[in-house]
Amino acid sequence: MQQPHDHDHGDHGHEHDHGHDHGHDHRAAPMVEEITDFEVLEIAVRELAIEKGLFTAEDHRVFTEWAEQIGPAAGSRLVAKAWVDPAFKARVLSDAVAACAEIGVDWKEPTGSGTPSDYMNLRVLEDTPTLHHVIVCTLCSCYPRPLLGHSPYWYRSPNYRRRLVRWPRQVLTEFGLNLPSNVEIRVEDSNQKCRFMVLPLRPAGTDGWTEQRLAEIVTRDVMIGVALPRADRKSDDVRPVHKARRPVEHAGQPVAAAQ
Amino acid sequence: MNPAAAAAVQDGTDLASVPLLEAMRVEGKTWENLAPRYGVSNPDPPWKVGLHATCECLAVGDTLPALERRRAEDQLGETIYRGTPAPEQQLLALAHIMLRRGLLSEDALAERMAVVRSRLEAR
Amino acid sequence: MENTKATGVPARFNVGDRVRVKELPNLFYTRTQMFVRGVSGTIAERTYEDLIPEDDAWNRDSAQPEQFYIVRFRQKDLWEDYPFEGDTLQSEFPDRWLEPISD
Repeated sequence: MQQPHDHDHGDHGHEHDHGHDHGHDHRAAPMVEEITDFEVLEIAVRELAIEKGLFTAEDHRVFTEWAEQIGPAAGSRLVAKAWVDPAFKARVLSDAVAACAEIGVDWKEPTGSGTPSDYMNLRVLEDTPTLHHVIVCTLCSCYPRPLLGHSPYWYRSPNYRRRLVRWPRQVLTEFGLNLPSNVEIRVEDSNQKCRFMVLPLRPAGTDGWTEQRLAEIVTRDVMIGVALPRADRKSDDVRPVHKARRPVEHAGQPVAAAQ
Repeated sequence: MNPAAAAAVQDGTDLASVPLLEAMRVEGKTWENLAPRYGVSNPDPPWKVGLHATCECLAVGDTLPALERRRAEDQLGETIYRGTPAPEQQLLALAHIMLRRGLLSEDALAERMAVVRSRLEAR
Repeated sequence: MENTKATGVPARFNVGDRVRVKELPNLFYTRTQMFVRGVSGTIAERTYEDLIPEDDAWNRDSAQPEQFYIVRFRQKDLWEDYPFEGDTLQSEFPDRWLEPISD
């Protein structure tokens, strides 16, 4: 199999977008090109703990999201409004940049260093019961920043960028998201000047909710497409809490007391 | 004996090195060493957030309470993992603590690392 | 949101057209991934007109803007052993990277 990126530069852990979004620097920043044992150890420890039932992949994803998030994103309000207002949703799907202006997000004057013309191509991808979207930038880290802020660390990692296009269901499972095989998974690569965001299905148990309350459950990961919204999980929870599925028996004892 | 080692003795923290982790420490492919080689300026390795999330998940599940973990991390960081930069030191310490507590076995960990590596390198 | 400026290279494809990604050499810089080259897909959307990245990257002011498209591929067409029938991948291309399928 060919390597999914022919791009000789990538962006490992950097905040900026494709070079062209800066108008002159057309090369993305370099990345660390080797997979170290430390990177591998972090994943191995996590996976073994998950298999042992100490926590779930989704628990881990939620903590990661919580640690990186600074409050609900503007995209959350866009999704909530689209859920309650069909006419607004139609405008989101036909002209997302104009619809953003209705919720106070101006793509012509985005925060950060982007130039206006490059940011004028936004597509909001509507999920259905049989279609699930997930976004990636296989080249570096293109991301709908006016709506979602800075991209998460894993979104910029070669691991996600390279593997999502090839093994999307495996990668989603690593985020704790398992979708049935009758749901089409559509990977959307932002490899040119379009930027993308996912409009997920409104979850059950949210009938009669206000827009504001709905916005609280539309977390960052949901709009990337690596998670589904849930009525019981908010983006600004003080701290996600969950009990171990199978608590260890010697919990609470001194560190070396297991022997 | 330095104070951390003395505290470790008191707590029963096992300071004997783990061959798998010791090899990584000695190899020293830390972010601090690698990033400049590739011209990367981000101060933290991308896996650091994942490590913190794992620590948090273990803490809220009462599997490995945060205070116990930090105390053992300090003891290990002042002794056998001394000189290793912070994120790698914390990762080595977490794996070490989990091995000594029987939450992981060294064989299973080595085996899983090979599986993860082959997955990350798969074409 | 079609860009209607008719200043550049005429657009050749419409939504629903079957196209194949060309196997072109990498001149300087491209955003066309290796894994889609030579693979057939369907035009999902005409997005905008712009300079292609190969020109954009080198500030060739004489370059003509051209139409970009989002193309939808079946994952099974991209990866021969892909196990899920319905899964898809979308990627974006300038006109010149695509060719009509003549069959």
